[in-house]
Amino acid sequence: MQPGAARDFWKRFLRNRGSLVGLLILLAVVLLAIFAPLLYPQDPWRMVQRPFLPPLEVDGFWFGTDTLGRDIGAGLVYGSQVSLLVGIVSTVVALSIGVTLGAVAGYYGGLVDDALMRFTEFFQTIPNFALAIVLVAILQPSTESVIIAIGVVSWPPVARLVRGEFLSLRSREFVQAARVVGQKNSQIIFRQILPNTLSPIIVMASLMVATAILLESALSFLGLGDPNTMSWGYMIGAARTVIRQAWWLSVFPGIAILLTVLALNLVGEGLNDALNPRLARKGR
Amino acid sequence: MLKTTRRALLASLVLGGAILAVAGPATAQEPKQGGTLNIVIQPEPPSLMLGIVQNGPTQMVAGNIYESLLRYDHELDPMPSLATSWEVSDDGTVYTFKLKEGVTWHDGEPFTAADVVFSADVFLRETHPRLRVSLEHVETIEAVDDHTVRFTLKQPFGPFLGIFEVGTMPMVPKHIYEGTDFKNNPANATPIGTGPFKFEEWEKGSYIHLVKNEDYHVEGQPYLDEVYWQVIPDAASRSVAYETGKVDVLPGGSVENFDVQRLVDLDNSCVTGKGWEYFAPHAWMWLNNRNGPLQDKRFRQAIMFALDREFARDVIWNGLGTVPTGPASSKTRFYSDDVPQYPHDPEKAKALLEEMDYDGTPIRLLPLPYGETWQRWAEAVKQNLEEVGIEVEVVATDVAGWNQKLAEWDYDMAFTYLYQYGDPALGVARNYLSTNIAKGSQWNNVQGYENPEVDELFQKAAVAFPDTERAKLYDEVQKIIVEDVPVAWLLEIEFPTIHRCDVKNLVNTAIGVNDGLVDTWLDR
Amino acid sequence: MQKLGFIVRRLFKAVVVLLAIVILNFFLIRAAPGDPAQVMAGEAGAADEKFIAQLQEQFGLNKPLHEQLAIYVGGVVTLDLGYSYRQNESVTTLILDRLPATLLLTGTAFFISLLLGLLFGAIAASRVGSITDTAVTSLALLFYATPLFWMALMSILLFSVVLGWLPAYGMESIGANLTGLAYVGDVAAHLVLPAMTLGLFFMAVYARLTRSSMLEVADMDFVKTARAKGVHPARITRVHVLRNAVLPVITLAGIQAGQIVGGAVLTETVFAWPGIGRLMYEALFQRDYNLLLGIFFVSSAMVLLFNLITDVVYTFIDPRIELK
Repeated sequence: MQPGAARDFWKRFLRNRGSLVGLLILLAVVLLAIFAPLLYPQDPWRMVQRPFLPPLEVDGFWFGTDTLGRDIGAGLVYGSQVSLLVGIVSTVVALSIGVTLGAVAGYYGGLVDDALMRFTEFFQTIPNFALAIVLVAILQPSTESVIIAIGVVSWPPVARLVRGEFLSLRSREFVQAARVVGQKNSQIIFRQILPNTLSPIIVMASLMVATAILLESALSFLGLGDPNTMSWGYMIGAARTVIRQAWWLSVFPGIAILLTVLALNLVGEGLNDALNPRLARKGR
Repeated sequence: MLKTTRRALLASLVLGGAILAVAGPATAQEPKQGGTLNIVIQPEPPSLMLGIVQNGPTQMVAGNIYESLLRYDHELDPMPSLATSWEVSDDGTVYTFKLKEGVTWHDGEPFTAADVVFSADVFLRETHPRLRVSLEHVETIEAVDDHTVRFTLKQPFGPFLGIFEVGTMPMVPKHIYEGTDFKNNPANATPIGTGPFKFEEWEKGSYIHLVKNEDYHVEGQPYLDEVYWQVIPDAASRSVAYETGKVDVLPGGSVENFDVQRLVDLDNSCVTGKGWEYFAPHAWMWLNNRNGPLQDKRFRQAIMFALDREFARDVIWNGLGTVPTGPASSKTRFYSDDVPQYPHDPEKAKALLEEMDYDGTPIRLLPLPYGETWQRWAEAVKQNLEEVGIEVEVVATDVAGWNQKLAEWDYDMAFTYLYQYGDPALGVARNYLSTNIAKGSQWNNVQGYENPEVDELFQKAAVAFPDTERAKLYDEVQKIIVEDVPVAWLLEIEFPTIHRCDVKNLVNTAIGVNDGLVDTWLDR
Repeated sequence: MQKLGFIVRRLFKAVVVLLAIVILNFFLIRAAPGDPAQVMAGEAGAADEKFIAQLQEQFGLNKPLHEQLAIYVGGVVTLDLGYSYRQNESVTTLILDRLPATLLLTGTAFFISLLLGLLFGAIAASRVGSITDTAVTSLALLFYATPLFWMALMSILLFSVVLGWLPAYGMESIGANLTGLAYVGDVAAHLVLPAMTLGLFFMAVYARLTRSSMLEVADMDFVKTARAKGVHPARITRVHVLRNAVLPVITLAGIQAGQIVGGAVLTETVFAWPGIGRLMYEALFQRDYNLLLGIFFVSSAMVLLFNLITDVVYTFIDPRIELK
């Protein structure tokens, strides 16, 4: 991007105060995830204090402890790693499936398009969350299986979006020109058309990360998370049975999820305003 | 802090017991007739036909519908039920039962010796895997007359008088099942027994409704008019249901342990740990004796020293239960505590690991997928073991996966708990006999422990006669097993039954609520 | 006539997709570790090979896989969804038993969220930049980002535990034997929390969508023309803007309506609502193959049905859209 374009981008992005707030929160979450081992050198699974210690009661345990005397603060910080990891990687998985299928369907059209769209429809027909649960149950819960399950249930909208963009771009002059000079189909798809569809894909991806984080937490809540990683959904799920004795066990991780997802949505909207100026809505 | 929690709970347990004792049958207080009891059932049973399905929730509900020949008191001594008296021949091979007269099935047909023979010899031999094993000691089962049944054994079998519990040998009606395909008989949906309550309605996903059997063979009983077993799938919701007065009884295991103390502290709330003596649920970790470092006895001993079993009992089980000394529960007959001890001693664990040159191979741990308590327990064990330098990876799985992994020996360490059924020949030997090493079951010698000496002692003890002979053999075998640590014993589980204090006579026998609500009444 | 032809073609495609789903699910669920016989043996507390073999034979699990598939698909084609292994009851009966509860919950949530979402979205759009607008957008954003299960827990904590206003679980007060209006009131009280939790999320989505698509439409030429002609602003909003802005909302409503059967797993679990979602969750862990497949079949059929309805509704609202 040229300096001028970059300045325009930021100007449009920051015109919306919400996106700035979102960006700051997101930045904080990312920093927490990166510097987790510095903030809490102890393993978050370690039982360090007496169980059910309320917040602020003992110095250094601002968020209190859980049923086994583990530090909730450590759990929150390490949980951000899991949420970000699962959110980003599963989005990458979904994008790579969705973009490929959507591009092929949109570029070639005809029978190929029809077959691929049937395939996509097929995945959109099975209720998402139910399918994710079944996939994790089959693969047995682990970080990998959770990522796969979320990726598999979230790619169809990407495929539809990319297909639509390709359908409208494939007859444009620059594509025709590329064909005339004898570029291969794969080159046209990846070098010519795809870069022109990036803006909506980026916007969609930022929202998908948010959805993926929600999905991961819901799966963990049901006990379908990796038992070796401390995640926010796991913390709420584990706290559910003691919700009346110890509200802090479920309240803090819930707020953490809420803030992160909120931040991603705000950033997504800001990106939308900045990348799709034509569609940028007023009043926000 | 931990100590106080535990003590407070113990105090309330004692208090609950005291209240029960005051209200017991010995007092002048006359039982009141009538009323509806609401009680939790978790999870929803697959069927109420106790002859075919013997899982926990089925027995808990169906124990009101079906009966067996005997019941057992808290010391595991037999009491009359459908049998009024019984005799054992001097050589311990012939058992003769006199049946109660005037007993009818819920459909009005008379209950006779023919039903007993059909149930034990035909029906249950076909459908009841646990009883099938015990019945292998039986040569013949005959109806001497309409109200006398004789069991002739091939040789003496010590625990024989202990298999007439309702979940082990439920009486099923011959006139309904004879000559039919037992498992697909449509009558299974409307169970017919001789018990104090009759099946009325089952609203799947919501409740099971039982009503008083007006023709019950004990005059004036049962006292209650109807019982609703409520299906509430979420543990926290079950607690709320009790708190808000929607249910009167929370049977053992229906709420998370973390909730017990709070519920017991409510007004008009009592608790008892009794009523599990027959089952004596014993929790341990299977240690796969075939795999890696687990083959080494010193490694298994190190695990025992590394575990902080008191912490688990106090924090995860809220102070309920007893840290076991070995394979037999202290509630089971022939229990001996004259065995090697394994206190929490991380240094000793480290020393043992060093001595055997443990190379840091990671060990997989399979938690029991039965809810939060077990999950927390696995997490605590992982921490205990990692503190002495054993690297542990928790493997997540659901009930089906857990069953499959155990049945196919695909695990390193796995949580479980098993019932002991009162006698080591029924509930202990099965897990240590090398003849019981076979894929496909989660209740046999899953860990692959082989010790010819142990085999011989267990085999002798099962058929020895009289009991003093058995006791000697069992003392010896317990010592050997505890030294070998084939599995890591964790806890004698105590499931508290929480109930409103005005629910009287709820738990009277060694199987507690599972034995039906025949004596229960409401002081309202 | 043209519409009818379209509907028939779509129905045919839907049946093909449905069959493909049945077959895929059939293999998918069998890929999970363990089988129903093992689960039931596990629950029995004791079992030997004979016991497991008996169960497997009873369930027909000892037959080769292709034969099991043929039997199952043959059944589905004649709308026979088979028997539940664990509950020993026809799958159709079990699903029909639970369906009313789920429909009540998701249906209520659907209508509340759609109505209120449209309303709030329209209000916000017609007063862009006002405090009302800011409040609606912020709240919508917040609900949109809140995990459903957490909202459920917090609402139980607040309304049932702390305030004691509403029942925390179940669909009715069991054993109360209420009839008539008292029964309706009882169910309604039980319905409030789960329907609210489920509805809030979608309400947020509808409000956001309505607002943004109304703003988009408001910029379009025909609206500008109407404004220039001096048409009353309220009439512009009603006739020109809302009518055109509602299309994306309908798409989403179609999607939500399709999820009416399969979309309430979490809510039903937390609130112990005796519906299909919970049944599915239990069937999965008990490896009750037929029951699970049956539920997937019904919920997928629902999605396809509502996709079709959505497309037809489109043509009524905007006759320019062609059916093809």
